[in-house]
Amino acid sequence: MKFRALLTSTREGIQGIIRHPLVTLASFTTILLMLLLMSVFLLFSANARYITKRVAQQPPIEVYMKLESTQAERDVVISYLDQNNQWIIEYEQRTPEQNYLWFRENLGESASILDNFDYMTYLPYTFHIRLIDPSYADEFGMNMRAIPGVNKVLIESRVMDFLSMTGRWVNIGTFVAFSVLLLIAMFIISNMVRISVYSRSAEISIMKFVGATSGYIRLPYIIEGLFVGMVSAVGAWAIAYFTYQQVFDIMMANVNATSFYALLPIQSLSHWVMIMCLVTGMLIGGLGSAVSVRKYVKV
Amino acid sequence: MIRFEDVYKTYKTGTDALRGVSFKIEDGDFVFIIGKSGSGKSTIMKLITREERPTKGYVLVDRFPISKMHNALVPVLRRQIGMIFQDFRLIESKSVFENVAFAGEIVGMSPKKLSQMVGIVLSIVGLSHKANAMPLELSGGEQQRIAIARAMINDPKLIVADEPTGNLDPQTSESIMALLEQINRNGTTVIVCTHDSNLVDRMKKRVIEVDNGIIVRDECASGYCATPPPEDKISIIQAVSKPSFPNGEDERPAVKLEDI
Repeated sequence: MKFRALLTSTREGIQGIIRHPLVTLASFTTILLMLLLMSVFLLFSANARYITKRVAQQPPIEVYMKLESTQAERDVVISYLDQNNQWIIEYEQRTPEQNYLWFRENLGESASILDNFDYMTYLPYTFHIRLIDPSYADEFGMNMRAIPGVNKVLIESRVMDFLSMTGRWVNIGTFVAFSVLLLIAMFIISNMVRISVYSRSAEISIMKFVGATSGYIRLPYIIEGLFVGMVSAVGAWAIAYFTYQQVFDIMMANVNATSFYALLPIQSLSHWVMIMCLVTGMLIGGLGSAVSVRKYVKV
Repeated sequence: MIRFEDVYKTYKTGTDALRGVSFKIEDGDFVFIIGKSGSGKSTIMKLITREERPTKGYVLVDRFPISKMHNALVPVLRRQIGMIFQDFRLIESKSVFENVAFAGEIVGMSPKKLSQMVGIVLSIVGLSHKANAMPLELSGGEQQRIAIARAMINDPKLIVADEPTGNLDPQTSESIMALLEQINRNGTTVIVCTHDSNLVDRMKKRVIEVDNGIIVRDECASGYCATPPPEDKISIIQAVSKPSFPNGEDERPAVKLEDI
């Protein structure tokens, strides 16, 4: 297609938007609402995943060695942890003395009762491990228990299961909402094109008779769809950005930014929201128009 | 050249529109296709413009075998045909100039050439002074002249007119037919579909009469067939403007899919 023809189609596409302001407004509003909902889901799921991850990582897996465990057995545990570092954020080995000091510290003013405690006899070596993903916990615990010298492995499995399940449901919810909204948007775009094609039927029939190609006839509608999708995307992003900023300011007013429950700042998410809105909006607008116009305009 | 060989057309509804139609129209002919409503004359027009495909038989328009040509070549065929309709089919929201230019824009004519060509075709139909008017400000005859100008903008080899005088008074009809005759005299093949027998009688041109899907009269044999124009005859547009190929070379490339 020649550049001049592309320019003409772009002009026609923009004229189509102006010519049917109510139809354009309807499709713009629908795509905007859809993208806004998607942005809310994206922001929500990003925060849910972020919080889930941080909370899940907090209660570490605790591995208790047998009291009589040898240095060789502890080395096997260390070696296992080093070999599987793709699952692990960090781990720490605590000696009986460190565990003793930790107990004392937790007892505060009552720490004196442990003054004569023979920690080398009664306290084991322990490993405190933080996993990348709580869903690995069960398999990881099973492998650890199989290592000689390991007495028991404590996993906060219920918490981890819940967090893992929440994450999964958030993902499923996002996907379902996205699919339903996508179908609604496609339906409305299809109607937008149908109305637009109907109102320009005389023009289209003339175009066919003077030898316009299918591409030439269809392109203005695709450009119209792309443009509506793009404007809707920018609108949805702007609303999501400023609304989230307000919510963030209110919710984080009394929360420390390093807290487990701190929200992600909008600056770290806004570019993802923008990319998602633009790609989805233009895809829905352009593709929806292309599919519909193919159905209604045949040379 | 247009050739119909034993052409049948049955629509999806089961209506037999054409039943074994055969005729040949040479380059430069002026032909009337007449018949009652539902006789099949519009189907013949639709086959020529490839709005429809024949159910059986062979249709050739210029170098295009209508029955088996690729869909992608349809626009290429239609760029060589100027179409005129009873209801003019002008775009009401566009000015006279824009309506005529529209057909040239579609084929990618440069703005400079387009402006020049619109000026030429409007002067041929005698409406240069109405270039900025809107279609609804014009009379029926003027609107049809604009439609003729639009049909001529791409300098077609063939003009197909479907009831071009159907909405016009007798005097205006005469002037429209005179214009078409003038275009034909310069080498463009003209096919007019009409039921106005008085007009047909006065014009003394070849008449193909269709009734119930078959040809019942073809006056080619009666001496009304036009003599093909001489090889060096140039179209009315080339006559008015400077010919781009003074040596008579054909500007049009051979039909190829990659051309579109």
